[in-house]
Amino acid sequence: MNSDLLTILLPTLALTGWALLLLLVDLWIPREHKGITAVLAAAGLAAALGLTLSQGRLPAMTDSTVMVISDGYALFLDVLFLASGLAGVALAHEYLKRANIANGEYYALLLFSVAGMMLMAHAYNLILIFLALELLSIPLYILSGINRPRLESEESALKYFLLGAFSSGFVLYGTALIYGATARTDLPGIFAALQSAPVNPVIFILGAVLLLVGLAYKVSAVPFHMWTPDVYEGAPTPVTGFMAVAVKAAGFAVLGRILMAAFPTVGKDLTPILWALAALTMLVGNLAAITQKSIKRMLAYSSIAHAGYLLMALVPFSNRLVNSDVQASLLFYLVAYALTGLGAWAVVTALEKQNGDGLKLEDYAGLGKSHPWLALAMTVFMLSFTGIPLTLGFWGKFYLFRTAIEGGFTLLAVIGVVTSLISAYYYLRVLMYMYMRAGSPSVERAPWLQVTAVAAALAVVLISFIPNVLLNLAGNSLLLLP
Amino acid sequence: MTSFLLSLTGGLLAALAAPWLTRRFPKRSGWLLALAPLGILVSLMNLLPALRNGESPSVSLAWAESLGLSATFQLDGLGALLAALVAGIGALVLIYGGAYLSGHPNLTRFYVVVLLFMTAMLGLAVSANALLLFIFWELTSITSFLLIGFEHERPAARAAAWQALLVTGGGGLALLAGFILLGNLTGSYEIPQWIAQKEVIAASPQSTAAFLLILAGAMTKSAQFPFHFWLPNAMEAPTPVSAYLHSATMVKAGVFLLARLLPALGGLPAWQGLIPWIGLATLLTGALLSLGQADLKKLLAYTTVASLGALVMLLGINTPLSVKAAMVFLPAHALYKGALFLVAGGVDHAVHTRDIRDLGGLGRAMPLTAAAAGLAALSMAGIPPFFGFIAKEVVYESALGAPALAAWVTALTILANIILAAAAGWVALAPFWEKARKDLHPHEGGAGLWLPPLILAALGLVSGLLPELAAKNWIAPAVSSVLGKPYEVKLSLWHGLNLPLLFSLITLLAAVLLYTLRVAARSADADAWQHLARFGPAAMYARGLKGLLSFAALQTRLLQSGYLRVYVLFITLFTVGMALPPALLSMRALPPAVWTGVRFYDVILVLIIVTAAFFVVRATSRLATIALLGAIGFSIAILFLLYSAPDLAMTQFAVETLTVILFVLVIYRLPKFSRLSSRPARLRDILIAGLGGLMMTLLMLVVSYHGQDSRLASFFMENSLPKAYGRNVVNVILVDFRGFDTLGEITVLAIAAVGVFALVRGAAKRKGERHE
Repeated sequence: MNSDLLTILLPTLALTGWALLLLLVDLWIPREHKGITAVLAAAGLAAALGLTLSQGRLPAMTDSTVMVISDGYALFLDVLFLASGLAGVALAHEYLKRANIANGEYYALLLFSVAGMMLMAHAYNLILIFLALELLSIPLYILSGINRPRLESEESALKYFLLGAFSSGFVLYGTALIYGATARTDLPGIFAALQSAPVNPVIFILGAVLLLVGLAYKVSAVPFHMWTPDVYEGAPTPVTGFMAVAVKAAGFAVLGRILMAAFPTVGKDLTPILWALAALTMLVGNLAAITQKSIKRMLAYSSIAHAGYLLMALVPFSNRLVNSDVQASLLFYLVAYALTGLGAWAVVTALEKQNGDGLKLEDYAGLGKSHPWLALAMTVFMLSFTGIPLTLGFWGKFYLFRTAIEGGFTLLAVIGVVTSLISAYYYLRVLMYMYMRAGSPSVERAPWLQVTAVAAALAVVLISFIPNVLLNLAGNSLLLLP
Repeated sequence: MTSFLLSLTGGLLAALAAPWLTRRFPKRSGWLLALAPLGILVSLMNLLPALRNGESPSVSLAWAESLGLSATFQLDGLGALLAALVAGIGALVLIYGGAYLSGHPNLTRFYVVVLLFMTAMLGLAVSANALLLFIFWELTSITSFLLIGFEHERPAARAAAWQALLVTGGGGLALLAGFILLGNLTGSYEIPQWIAQKEVIAASPQSTAAFLLILAGAMTKSAQFPFHFWLPNAMEAPTPVSAYLHSATMVKAGVFLLARLLPALGGLPAWQGLIPWIGLATLLTGALLSLGQADLKKLLAYTTVASLGALVMLLGINTPLSVKAAMVFLPAHALYKGALFLVAGGVDHAVHTRDIRDLGGLGRAMPLTAAAAGLAALSMAGIPPFFGFIAKEVVYESALGAPALAAWVTALTILANIILAAAAGWVALAPFWEKARKDLHPHEGGAGLWLPPLILAALGLVSGLLPELAAKNWIAPAVSSVLGKPYEVKLSLWHGLNLPLLFSLITLLAAVLLYTLRVAARSADADAWQHLARFGPAAMYARGLKGLLSFAALQTRLLQSGYLRVYVLFITLFTVGMALPPALLSMRALPPAVWTGVRFYDVILVLIIVTAAFFVVRATSRLATIALLGAIGFSIAILFLLYSAPDLAMTQFAVETLTVILFVLVIYRLPKFSRLSSRPARLRDILIAGLGGLMMTLLMLVVSYHGQDSRLASFFMENSLPKAYGRNVVNVILVDFRGFDTLGEITVLAIAAVGVFALVRGAAKRKGERHE
């Protein structure tokens, strides 16, 4: 093992080690004190975050076997994953107690999944990407079924697992075909092979398409999204929040890297496919969200819709001129989406009852009067999801639309605008319920949830006043192009 | 300029202080809060001399430079005119609202949202950056939403707020798209830059798209036909809100935007070709529909729609004269219409009805309100010496100079103005001076209710008497900034005997006739209007929304069945759809099939596999299915053997045997075998399975034709013996070259076995416990 490899993977390895320890230590922590496990998990995540940040000044580099890479892109995403992990812990602790499933495994599995995501961001080789994808997914299959006596949770886990395994097959098949066409699995090698050696284009394109299908499943792009609402609805809410935010980000992290580091020369073949996926995802996600009565399901569809917007950022991936905007707008939108999403899921978790009630839109009636701060936070999140000014979501969408138009995809941007309008219908309906209908919602006493919600809302609003900070950060976190 | 910008924060501070002030001074809170807009107005007045000299002070703050954006504020004549109206009427509305909503439990909310709206509107007036302008634009839509739904206990108010938000918010998004297009075209979001690069914009093929998108934004905001329907519905808002937002200021934002972008986009052929007709259509629609209204506020709302149409038409005509007319008509309308709305609110407050069929005889009991109403109505009807008269004269003059069909435009404008003048009578004269039909017990309200409308109406008279004052200080700078060059504005009551004066006379006479016929009151009872409404854009909107919802429901039902098998089916279908085209295309490159000597046992094996596969899907018992699957697996293994891959064949044999055994073990625990799919569903499945098979076959053909990279194979062949001392290459790879992989696999298997053991034991233990 060379030292670069160790340097690059240090935070990931530390987190994995910590998770293994946690699994052991947890055996001695009594059931009523699982808060200790939560704190330990958070400490592990925070430590990994510190390690990651300490690497901020390292130059972009790969190890000698070209398995992993460390660049601004990966570090930026690492921070996003670790922060989502911290939010995942904050969301879960009280919920697990309330739902009577306070098992320590939850935290260890969460940590494993975060480690998988970090590996996704650093992976520079299709084989490793596949491994990272599995490391990320398998803990989540378990987590979505962790509320075991409840049928919905079990159904959710089984569906997720079966379809996830199915889609992993696509990734693997695609990898095999790409290897067959180029004799390489490392991304820069594939890029080089595409430029020089006599590559069989058909086999390669078929492989790339299958790879896209597998990853489209992971980021729940239409038409590979059908699992999302069912799984998100059945899984315990904190897990759903974590999946909706972090897993999506990880999927896009790897999709962006593959497209830009390995496939830029085959844009002619892949761009139409991405275009169609993006347009379909925006349309279907937003249209389906309109009809939902359950807030959990509505947010599930909303996460699909946002996958569409993120895909839009990637459509001009092969255009070298807008490449840096493609990356920066993707990263910026991911942060905006993560902050908004985690906050919104925190509110949803706070209103959910022990028996799984409290998830209907009607249950939010009167929240503005009874819990003004929570309602205000939710308002911020809904506005940000819609993309209304003075929220981070607005800048995110603006940057995306701008990038799409710059890349020459005006029609796609117009579809994005139209679907944003459709989305206003269902996001703002939540506001209608909270402020304009009478009701007496009951909110669980859960300080951590409220802290998460309010902190996320503050971040969404405050950063929107000084978007430069985040824009520069995203703009400087570019991936290493071969 | 900086001091003016700082004064804008006064509105925000007042909003912060409002809850406390309302609690501390429940009666006087409106008067106190009005100090904030008054302060802004004073600070604006300080800049007037500079504006008169043609200066436009600006301040630019760093913002999101990476996106090429900075927060640029610039005050020019146009912005100053709007800002003065916003701040001035804002102060009056705060005073009025304090009295009108006195004792209302949500009075604080009213103050806060109105002050926020005011700040956003002022920001809009001084934005020189398109993005900044858009942000303020959306904020006004949101605050308008909150204010329309102020009395949210009533479903009608909720629905109206919702509708206004969807229409104006949707327009706002179109506006954003248009802005981004222009921003990409010119490389800047600064509006002065756009004006400087108007040739670049005009030369681009995208300019029309950008123009149309921006126009859509302006049309929704300023309630232009066919988006006008939200404005009358927005009358669900408390009256001070209607006066302020939906008549005097917010609905002018679209007009303002057009004026703001006129120097940049006015040269496009679509500008003169499209906008005047939209404006004219709106003018006529508003005027005609106002005939059918009995509700004071709705009547006023439709006349507002008509006036907004007139303003848009004037800007569309785009001559210096018509721009001047727009800049004169804009404040004139704001003054008299704001006053009339406040009067309508005062009447409602006093006698609790707004139906013009019931109102009458209020003049004696409410003399001050009646005076305000009278002054405003005279201005609206365009009677000298009121400001409204001057405005109407220049409007007629501009209509005569319309780019096309000037005679028609003028005639229709006159027609609309006749109705509007008569409407002024119905709103402001009839309720006060006609005979009462009901005993209404009217009484004059406090100063907060009559003073604001009186001030507004009186301003209409003062500006009419001293037109030069208004022209020099407000109108001329505004016109100059729209035209982009100094323009001298002369306004006077007497223009000599000319056509516009004749038209004014005709208008007045016809209006008096129309008024005495009491058409409004009569036709309000008629069903004709209700029939008409079914074909209006409001009904289209409702139908469109319903259609969208049912389409959304349909597609969700279709895609989201909840059945895993359907999901798998879709995934397969779409994957095939994505992968089949390139695969098919590549078929042409394949050489024709060459049949090498086919051996009879090859044929037999293939036949076995095909037949078994056929019966697998037809079989009705699980055991048969397993047996058939086993047959397929073993046949494939034999094929491997025949094609000299004994190691693969051995593995396949082992795996097949194991699977069959496992299957048989599991089979007893499964529920009974049953057919769940209907016949058509099975047909569909066959089709999709067939497509999947086709894709895989093509893939196999392509891959096997092109052959593989054999570098790895030769490496292992060459190095197996010298480096690892083994003749069985597969074996060497497993235990030597890839030894760590094998170790990893074994470890995983071992862990899995431990896990299974733990599960089985746990299950057995639980079972035992249950038995005890």
